[in-house]
Amino acid sequence: MRLGVFALLAAVWLALSGPYTLHEWLIFAFGIVSVAFVWRLYLALERAAGGGFEFFRASAWLRLPRFLVAFAVKVAAANLHVTKLILSPRIELHPRLRRVPASQKTSFGQVLYANFITLTPGTITLDLRDDELLVYALDAESEADVMDGSMDRDVLRIEGGSD
Amino acid sequence: MNGVLDIATAVLLVAGGLFCVVGGIGLHRFSEFYQRTHAASVTDTAGAGLMLLGLMLQGGLSMVTVKLVLVLAFLLFSSPAIAHALVKAAHGHGLALELEIEDEPGRDGDAAG
Repeated sequence: MRLGVFALLAAVWLALSGPYTLHEWLIFAFGIVSVAFVWRLYLALERAAGGGFEFFRASAWLRLPRFLVAFAVKVAAANLHVTKLILSPRIELHPRLRRVPASQKTSFGQVLYANFITLTPGTITLDLRDDELLVYALDAESEADVMDGSMDRDVLRIEGGSD
Repeated sequence: MNGVLDIATAVLLVAGGLFCVVGGIGLHRFSEFYQRTHAASVTDTAGAGLMLLGLMLQGGLSMVTVKLVLVLAFLLFSSPAIAHALVKAAHGHGLALELEIEDEPGRDGDAAG
């Protein structure tokens, strides 16, 4: 009976707006196959990460705009700084390697923080181990962007930890 | 109105293009592998980001803009993953870093060479 309702609904949808030509059927079928495949990958990833990704909760999406603004501002500032370094008549770098605590609770949050640092020109994450990032920075100014912990707090906030 | 949008698009595209060129110049001028990855990330973020923003203005509120936003999102996830993979592979295989300051050298074994 329930299957009958499913079939009836499917038939109505098919009649009103379903795929008609071979081309449309192919796109429809490929769509279902791709979505199912990627969904399967996601489930495997979630299992490998040892727990659900908190990020797919609605509240995280609400906090996203503020994070994106903070992200854009920091990346823009870092871009200008590295551009200045590149175009200066004499290349003067003071590279350094620093251990930075990643205070996020979830592995997803820590990876987001590591990627944030890597995306910011002037700093790059070499390794993530035991809640600590190994960060390579071009000079003191780039290093300060990470060491002041503001990016860490940005990611913490969207992770939904403290404040 | 259209004129304003077109001008904004033009400015964003040219600015993005300039950052791409700057990234390229940096690749040349910086002297070693690890420094060069920083120059490349200028191209990945400012270059690609500004150009995509400029194109979004032309797309308006349409599927084109949705797709451009997705392109930007994929770029923002894939480019740090690639940069990290490159740098970690180089570091893991013992390509030495030229450093002025290092936290607790040798604790991770391979950093000290």
